[in-house]
Amino acid sequence: MIAVFAAYPGLYSVLVNSPVGAEMETVLPQVETMVAVLYFGLFAMSFDFISGYTGYLSFGHAAFYGTGAYFVVLAANGKIPLLGPDTSFVALLVIGGLIAVGLAVLIGAVSFRLTGVYFAMITLGFSQVLYVLVRDWGYLASNPRDGPAVLGRTEPFSIGVPGVDSLDLAIGQLAGESVEGLLGVLEFTATEVSYYMIGLVVLASYFAMQRIIHSPFGKVLIAIRENEERAEAIGYNTFWYKLGAFAVSAFFAAVAGGLLAGFRRSVSPDGTFYFLVTGDALLASIIGGFGTLAGPLYGWLFDEGVTEFLSKRGEGGGLLPYLRDNLGEGLLSTEVFDGLTVGEAINTFLNGHAELYIGVLFVLFVLFVPSGLLGTVRDRVGGPVGEAIASRLRGER
Amino acid sequence: MTGVAVGAVGLDSALADPVVLAGFVDALAEFLRPRNLASVFVDGLAKAALYVMIAGGLTLIFGLMGVLNFAHGSMTMIGAYLGGLLMVLAVGQATGDAARLALFFVALAVTFAALAGLGGAIEIGLVRRLYDRPPVYQILLTFGVTLVLDELVRIVVLFYGMQPTSDWQAALATKPGVLDSSVDLGLVSVPGLDLFEIAIGALTVAGLWAFLTKTRYGLMIRAGSEDAEMTEALGIDVRRVFTVVFALGAGVAGVAGTLLMWDGSWAASVPLAADTLLPAFVVVIIGGLGTFRGTVVAALIVGMADAVTTWWFVNEIEFSGLPEITIFLILVVMLILRPQGLFGVEEVGGH
Amino acid sequence: MTLLEVEDAHTYYGESHILEGVSLEVEEGEVVALVGRNGVGKTTTLRTVLQLTPPRRGTVRLRGEDVTGRETHEIADRGVGWIPEERRIFAQLSVEENVRVAVPDGRAVGAALDRAFETFPDLRDHRSRDAGTLSGGQQQMLALARGLVGDNDLLLVDEPSEGLAPLIVERVAEALADAAEDTTLLLVEQNLPLALDLADRFYVIDNGSVVDEGDAAETSADDERLRRYLSA
Repeated sequence: MIAVFAAYPGLYSVLVNSPVGAEMETVLPQVETMVAVLYFGLFAMSFDFISGYTGYLSFGHAAFYGTGAYFVVLAANGKIPLLGPDTSFVALLVIGGLIAVGLAVLIGAVSFRLTGVYFAMITLGFSQVLYVLVRDWGYLASNPRDGPAVLGRTEPFSIGVPGVDSLDLAIGQLAGESVEGLLGVLEFTATEVSYYMIGLVVLASYFAMQRIIHSPFGKVLIAIRENEERAEAIGYNTFWYKLGAFAVSAFFAAVAGGLLAGFRRSVSPDGTFYFLVTGDALLASIIGGFGTLAGPLYGWLFDEGVTEFLSKRGEGGGLLPYLRDNLGEGLLSTEVFDGLTVGEAINTFLNGHAELYIGVLFVLFVLFVPSGLLGTVRDRVGGPVGEAIASRLRGER
Repeated sequence: MTGVAVGAVGLDSALADPVVLAGFVDALAEFLRPRNLASVFVDGLAKAALYVMIAGGLTLIFGLMGVLNFAHGSMTMIGAYLGGLLMVLAVGQATGDAARLALFFVALAVTFAALAGLGGAIEIGLVRRLYDRPPVYQILLTFGVTLVLDELVRIVVLFYGMQPTSDWQAALATKPGVLDSSVDLGLVSVPGLDLFEIAIGALTVAGLWAFLTKTRYGLMIRAGSEDAEMTEALGIDVRRVFTVVFALGAGVAGVAGTLLMWDGSWAASVPLAADTLLPAFVVVIIGGLGTFRGTVVAALIVGMADAVTTWWFVNEIEFSGLPEITIFLILVVMLILRPQGLFGVEEVGGH
Repeated sequence: MTLLEVEDAHTYYGESHILEGVSLEVEEGEVVALVGRNGVGKTTTLRTVLQLTPPRRGTVRLRGEDVTGRETHEIADRGVGWIPEERRIFAQLSVEENVRVAVPDGRAVGAALDRAFETFPDLRDHRSRDAGTLSGGQQQMLALARGLVGDNDLLLVDEPSEGLAPLIVERVAEALADAAEDTTLLLVEQNLPLALDLADRFYVIDNGSVVDEGDAAETSADDERLRRYLSA
C-alpha cells in the first residue's frame, strides 16, 4: 500500500493525460486532496489509537489537533514566547506535540476516572471549552472566529534534515518548493513535494503508533478494551496505561494539526477545535475500520474521494462537470418531474452534497459492516493485508 | 456601566490593580441592583425553558433506552424549519396577533406529530437493530443519521433559494408584535417573548411530567427505564414502549425547534442542529443521564448561568464566548465532582 | 394437560454453553422445585422458559403450544410470572406503582391492589414510599405481590429466601404456600428443607442438565442422592 501511495502523483498525472483522462479526472482525487487525506488521515489514526484500541471514545480529540495547528501558526507569527518566528518546522511539530501531551495528561487525569458515555462527554466538554476560548480570544488572530494565518514568517515550513538544503524541502500550497531534474528525469510540483514530505511524516508516525500497538503496552490497551476489570485483576494499573495511550494519541493528533497548518498556512477554530472535526475522525474510523490503525486513513481517503467526486469544477474534476460535458444539452434539459430538468436534479441532489451519501454509507457501515473496510478485509484474509498478500505470493497458502 | 459611583475604595487598596477592581466592584454593585437581578432572573427562566425543551426529549430517550441520540439536534432543527414553513404559509400581512398565536399552536401540534413519526420510523428502521450491540454503536448510528438529515434539509433549503447557514427571516417575521414588545412587571419590564417561552416551557414540563407519572404508559416507561427485562417479564412489550418513547422524544425536539424559530438568537437554520445538540447534552449530563427531574433542575442551573454570564459579557467583560464557555465548564466541573449527575443513579450509562 | 414442558433445551450466554439439554415437565397445580449447586443452570432454566435467554436448541411448550423464540412479554401474557433472584423491584417507583405495573391491561387495578395489600399488610403502610427504601424482606414481599397480581397460572420463583432473616423466610414460605393453592409453582431454592417442604416434586440439576428427580414427600434433605449433588 505504501508503494501505491508513493506512486500516486505519478500515476495521477499519467492517467489524467491518457485517452481516458476525462474519466480519470472525474474519478480520482487530485494530489492536493491527497495531501489532506494524509494529514487528516493521521489525525483519524491517532483518534483510532485511543478510541479503537482502548474502547474509550475520545470525543474531544479535536482539541489536540487544534493545539498542534494553532501552535505552528502562532509560533510563526511570533506569538509564542521564547520561540522565534523562524523556528524550524520539524521542531514546531515536536514541541506542539509535546504541548498536546501535557494537555492530554491534564485532561486524561480527570477524565479517565469515568467510563463509557461519561468519558466521551467530559472530553467533549474540555474540547468545547478550548474551542470557545480559541474562537473568541482576540490575541490569537485579528478575527478569532476565522482564525489566524501565517503573516510574520519569512522562512518556509520545510520538512527534512535541517541545514542540508537538498534534503530539506518546503511544503505548502503556494509557498512550497518544486523539484526539477531529480535523477535527470523526475519533476515534482510544489503540491507533489508537499505530498511526499507530509507523507513521510505520516508514515513515520504510523510506524511509531504501530510499534506501540504491537508492543506489550499495546496488548494491555487491547485487554482494557476487551475487559478492563480482568486487565485490572491480572495486576495492570489500567489508569496509567490509558493515560499513556491518550498522551501518545494526543502527540500524533497535534503533529497532524501541525501538518495542516504548515500546508495551508492558516487555521480556523471550526476546522480544528470544533467537535464535528472529531466527528469526521470518527466517520473515517468507522468506514475504514475501528481499531485497525491504518483503516481510518483509508476511511478518510474514501470520504475525501466522494466529496471531490460530487463537488464542482475547479476542485479536481468530479461527477457533475463530467455529466455536463458528456450528457448533452438535450438530455440535461429533459423534464423528469414537474418542471425539474435532469440538469437541475443533478444540481440539486448531487452538487456539493457528498455529506448526504457519505452519511447514508456511514449508517450502512454501522449497521452491516461494523468492522469497516480494512477490518472486514483483515477478517477475510485472517491478518494484516500486507502480510496475507505476501504470504500468498510466497505460496504459503 | 455608569450607575453607582466608586463606592468601595477601601477594598481595592489591598489588591494589585485598583482600576480593574474598582470597575469590577462597580459592575458587581450594578449587577446586584434589584432591577437588574430581576431582569437577569427572567432571562434565565426563559433560557431554562428553552434548554429544558431542547433536552427533555433527549433525556427520555436516554433514560429508557440508554441511547444517546446524536440526531436530537437535527430533529430540533427540522422542527424549526417545519414550524416556520407552516407559519409562513398560513400567516399573511394582515393576520392579527391572536390568529398568529392560535396558528402557532396548530404548528406546534403538527410538528410534534411529524417529528414523532420520523422518530418512530428511525427507531423501528435503524436503532432497533443495534440494541444488542455495545452502546457506542447507537451513538455512531445516530451520528450518521444526523449527517443524512442535515444534508437533506440543506438540499431542500437550497432548492428553494434560501441560505442554509443564515437565519430564516421570513419565519421570524411571522412572530406576533405582542411578543416583540416589552411587558411591565412592576419592578422590571421584560420581553414578551421571554414570558411566552417560559409559559411554553412550563407547559411542556407539566405535560411530560403528567404523562410520566399519571398515565399507565408513563408508568411502563419509568419501569422500563429502570429494568427493561423485568418489565418485559411482566407482560409489557418494551420494544413498543421504546418506539413510543423515541417518537415522543423526537416530537418534543420538534416542538422545541418550532419555538426557537421565533427566537432571534436561535432561529431556523441548519447549524441550529449542532447549536442545540451540545447544550442538550450538557443539560442532560448535569441532571444525571435519563432522569427527568434532574434535567429540569439542570436546565434551570444552565439557564441562570447563561443569563448571568450574558449580563456580565454585555456590561463588563469583553469576552463574547463567556456564556458558552461557562456552560461547558459547568459540565466539566460537574463530571469531575459528581459524574452521575445531580439526580443520576451510578450505574446508568457507564460501561 | 401438562402446563409446562421443557425438552432438551440448550442455552448459551455468548459462547458459554450453560444448559446442555434440560428436560422437565410441570403439571397444572403442582409445586416443582429445581435444586442443585450454584451456577449449574437453575436460574438459566427459568430464563429459558421466559425466553429471556432463548434456547439455541430444544423446545419450550406452554399447554402444548410451542413458544420457543417468542417475545418474553408474550410468554408473560400466557400466564407465566417471574419472581426473580435479587427481587428486581423497581426501586424508583413507589410500592403501589410496583404493583400497578404488574396488573395486565384491562384488569381492575383497584381489586389487584386490595389483594396484594391483604396478603402483605406491611406493604399497605408503605404504599407511597419509593420501593428502593424498603427493607430486604419487604422487597421480597413486594416481588411476591407483583407476581401474584399478574393473574398468573405459573409462577417461576427464584431463590425467594436468599439473604433474608429466618423470621422473614417463614413468612415468605407461608405466602408461597398460599399462592400454591391456586397457582402452579416452579421454584429454585438453595434452602433444601424449605424447597422439599413446599414442593410436590423436585428435579436435581448439575452441569446444565437434569441428573435426578423425585417425590418431595418421600425424600429427606439428608438423602444421599441429593447430598451428592448439593455438597460443594
